[in-house]
Amino acid sequence: MTGGVGTSVRRPDGPAKVRGEFSYAGDLAAEGMLVGSTVRSPHPHARITGIDTAAARAISGVHAVLTSADVPGDLYFGLTLRDEPALADGVVRYAGEPVAVVAAVDAATARRAARAVAVEYEPLPPLTDPQQSLTAPPLHPDGNVYRHVSYSCGDPDARGVVTVENTYRIGMQDPAFLAPEAGLAWPTPDGGVALDVATQWLHSDQTQIGWATGLPPEKVHLRLAGVGGAFGGREDVTLQTHACLLALATGRPVKFEYTREESFLAHRQRHPGTIWLRHSADADGRIVCVEGRVLLDGGAYASTSPVVITNTVTLLQGPYRVDNGRFEGWSVRTNNPSCGAMRGFGVPQAAFAHEAQLDALAGALGMDPLEIRLRNALQRGDVATFGQRFDAPTPVREVIEGLRAIPLPAGPARRAPGGVGRAAEPGSVRRGIGYAVTIKNLAFSEGHVDESTAEVSLCDGHATVHTACAEVGQGFVTVAEQVARTVLGATTVEVTQPDTLIASAGSTSASRQTMASGTAVHRACAAVRVRLLAQVARRHGLDAAGLTVVDGTVCAAGRPVTPVAAAAPGQTLRATEHFQHPATYPLGSAEGGMYVAFSFSAQRAVVDVDVELGLVSVVQVASCQDVGTVINPTQLLGQIEGGIVQGMGLALMEEVVVADGLITNPDFQDYLIPTIVDAPEVVSTYVTDPEPGMPHGWKGAGEPPLCTAVPAVAAAVRDATGLPLPAVPIKPEHVALGLGAAPTVTWTTPRPAAPSRAVNIVVDEEARDAPGTMAEEGAPGGR
Amino acid sequence: MSVDPLVADEFVTFPLTVDGVPREVTARWSESLLTVLRDRLGVLGPKTGCGHGRCGACAVRVGVGPDEPHVLCACLVPAATAVGATVETIASLGGPDGELSDVQEAFLAEGAVQCGICTAGFVTAATELLERHECPSRTEIEEALYGNLCRCTGYGRIVAAVESAARTRRERKDPVPLTTRKLTASLRTGPEAAE
Repeated sequence: MTGGVGTSVRRPDGPAKVRGEFSYAGDLAAEGMLVGSTVRSPHPHARITGIDTAAARAISGVHAVLTSADVPGDLYFGLTLRDEPALADGVVRYAGEPVAVVAAVDAATARRAARAVAVEYEPLPPLTDPQQSLTAPPLHPDGNVYRHVSYSCGDPDARGVVTVENTYRIGMQDPAFLAPEAGLAWPTPDGGVALDVATQWLHSDQTQIGWATGLPPEKVHLRLAGVGGAFGGREDVTLQTHACLLALATGRPVKFEYTREESFLAHRQRHPGTIWLRHSADADGRIVCVEGRVLLDGGAYASTSPVVITNTVTLLQGPYRVDNGRFEGWSVRTNNPSCGAMRGFGVPQAAFAHEAQLDALAGALGMDPLEIRLRNALQRGDVATFGQRFDAPTPVREVIEGLRAIPLPAGPARRAPGGVGRAAEPGSVRRGIGYAVTIKNLAFSEGHVDESTAEVSLCDGHATVHTACAEVGQGFVTVAEQVARTVLGATTVEVTQPDTLIASAGSTSASRQTMASGTAVHRACAAVRVRLLAQVARRHGLDAAGLTVVDGTVCAAGRPVTPVAAAAPGQTLRATEHFQHPATYPLGSAEGGMYVAFSFSAQRAVVDVDVELGLVSVVQVASCQDVGTVINPTQLLGQIEGGIVQGMGLALMEEVVVADGLITNPDFQDYLIPTIVDAPEVVSTYVTDPEPGMPHGWKGAGEPPLCTAVPAVAAAVRDATGLPLPAVPIKPEHVALGLGAAPTVTWTTPRPAAPSRAVNIVVDEEARDAPGTMAEEGAPGGR
Repeated sequence: MSVDPLVADEFVTFPLTVDGVPREVTARWSESLLTVLRDRLGVLGPKTGCGHGRCGACAVRVGVGPDEPHVLCACLVPAATAVGATVETIASLGGPDGELSDVQEAFLAEGAVQCGICTAGFVTAATELLERHECPSRTEIEEALYGNLCRCTGYGRIVAAVESAARTRRERKDPVPLTTRKLTASLRTGPEAAE
């Protein structure tokens, strides 16, 4: 079908975007609007001994100044543990924590008023080392450990002939979506509040705004405003609650729009972490045992730290069969910036470490890096270290073979390392080739309900699709349109702006929206089709069971009966359908698996490195990814290329540098994201083995390319330089000065696994650290 | 450049031409052209990404005085220097009769648009590039666009879009059969030949 599933349909919001007419959250305005500004803590840790707002209130044009004392509902919010105050509650725990908010007639007045709020701080020593957090006095009544995960499988003392171990470090990455946070709130006649906002998850925001305002959900009305990128960084509440509180307090519309610096301070970052891994393998490269320990710095408040740590720990095994292992990890509280969701959600950290280990094993055994990966590749039917059976297509070998089939780039690179400055000397440039293969879990995990609802109506061939799925740039609007064309035979499709008038679609994260909201749309379209065909059957005296929709036409036994557009003139047929993945269970549960689905990805990076200056140019990244089925080739390529470049950014340049709890580079001058000059050529191929239980066999595709690019690029730089490079981002000085320790290789006497312990999973979790409770709609189980 | 805060806070009224329409605006001297456009005049095509000239989301074409108009970041231009300026935003870059320009069309066709917050800036910069270079090399494309950040696409589709728009433009101007054109191109010297 023209414009249906499988074709490169153009984005429906594209024309407005190329004309500059698409309305983003930052473009919002309303009659009589006030502008909000936030007073933020300059200290990473301090006691607040006094707040005087009188001077701020006295400024002409200021309509409200709110502190925690003015929050009518429950002060505390959060995606999992609800440990964060909407406005500081006597203590500040990170630099940038909101202490007060101001609404004034314009931005300049609001900023001036914010500066006039006098906050007295008694600075406390900041706890900035996550290792020390484990034993330090608690920074918060809820303690310092967000979650401790510990389990083993098989016989963790089993050994092969060789053991490699090393400690890996991953820096803090900023989602750096290009449109800073913005939203516009206003009081509604029902005594409630409305908010147009750029977010990833309308219903989670709605719940959390409800807590602070004391309003029931039906009086908190959210609509999605145009979103300029998200990548996980809009999953948590930032300005949402503040805008609503101020709108209610002033009776006026209130708009917030963060500056870039505030954006760095306010949203959650990717967790920096330290990962120790020890792999033991047979002489033929087969993995005998893996032991791993992870420490993630969650920063000041929980956000999704309890969930992220579990992803990192459980996926340390990589896309390889591991029968014996011992895994442990902590995500902990510090006075560093809060960390939470970012594309990959704990997996890039694991992937960087396990892939460095596979290369170290291959190096020790003199094996080809792809050969050792093929030898250990997971297959359908294998059981994960965390006890889940891979019972869907598990094409690890296939993505590796697919990658191997892509030719290497021919000839010299177009440009030397160093970008437009061309600083590299030809004599010191070395080429390197690196490989990585990764596993990424798709959708929510461990019992967090993963669901969506869609309402579809059809009238004279025009379909309207309504969900609460946040379009953040990824292209769900296109997918929804394609589904409506294919399933329903719609001639034209409108995907309406998401809002809270329909049930939650969950977050636009975890590579999940095609699977969740796409499937809900598919089901609703199928339900409308049933009604349509029933009408056609009645009208034409046919058996509805024999009718199909092909290319916009209702057919009986392949013979056209009527165009869909003329099948039920003037009538609107409507259906609302819900989709929910089969249940998942906490780690260690005997009832079922932790994860909904998995995707596998293999990449090869080719780099040129000036080994004297430490400058790296990524020449090409080739990718072969397990995508279930290709819904829209152009959009899929956009996800692959975009993910690879973000992963490359983490591998080579992106790091939020935090010194004594303060972000030293909260701008694009010093926080470097890849430019067009840095971007490599990308060659992208796919393995299409349909995912069972999903319409069209689709599965999520957004996160794997990033997860794989980080280790692939790092491996290529290692290959070019011969350096161990156990930390990302790999900065010029790491290469030029050869910083970082090499893996320790030990030759061991083989010790086979004790058979009695073959398939036992032992979960050893401290009682107080219950699994993340993002139970209903991210609406946590309360404090 | 440091601005006297007293002067910076002073309001001033001055004329400028935005997208062909003469406007008069009252603004603080210290405000950026981006603030003038977005907050004073309601011209929302240029976007705010970083506010310090690093992302290019606010790229507009500005002509001041006798100089040839060129693309720059509106967030870096103090209103004081925009007095009497001619500003062309993305709204000036459409095709005839409200159609999309060839560059806009190519951005859509090649999938160069995702969240779109950078798109107006990229289209603005790419349009200027193609006015100067009929057949830009990959390196020339990079040099023209490295002031524009995109966080979604990884740039691959953006390069494809610019190359496609250039190709379409050449074909429209010079409808020579493909084989002949390839031969001609290979006989050329200069950066194109190296591609």
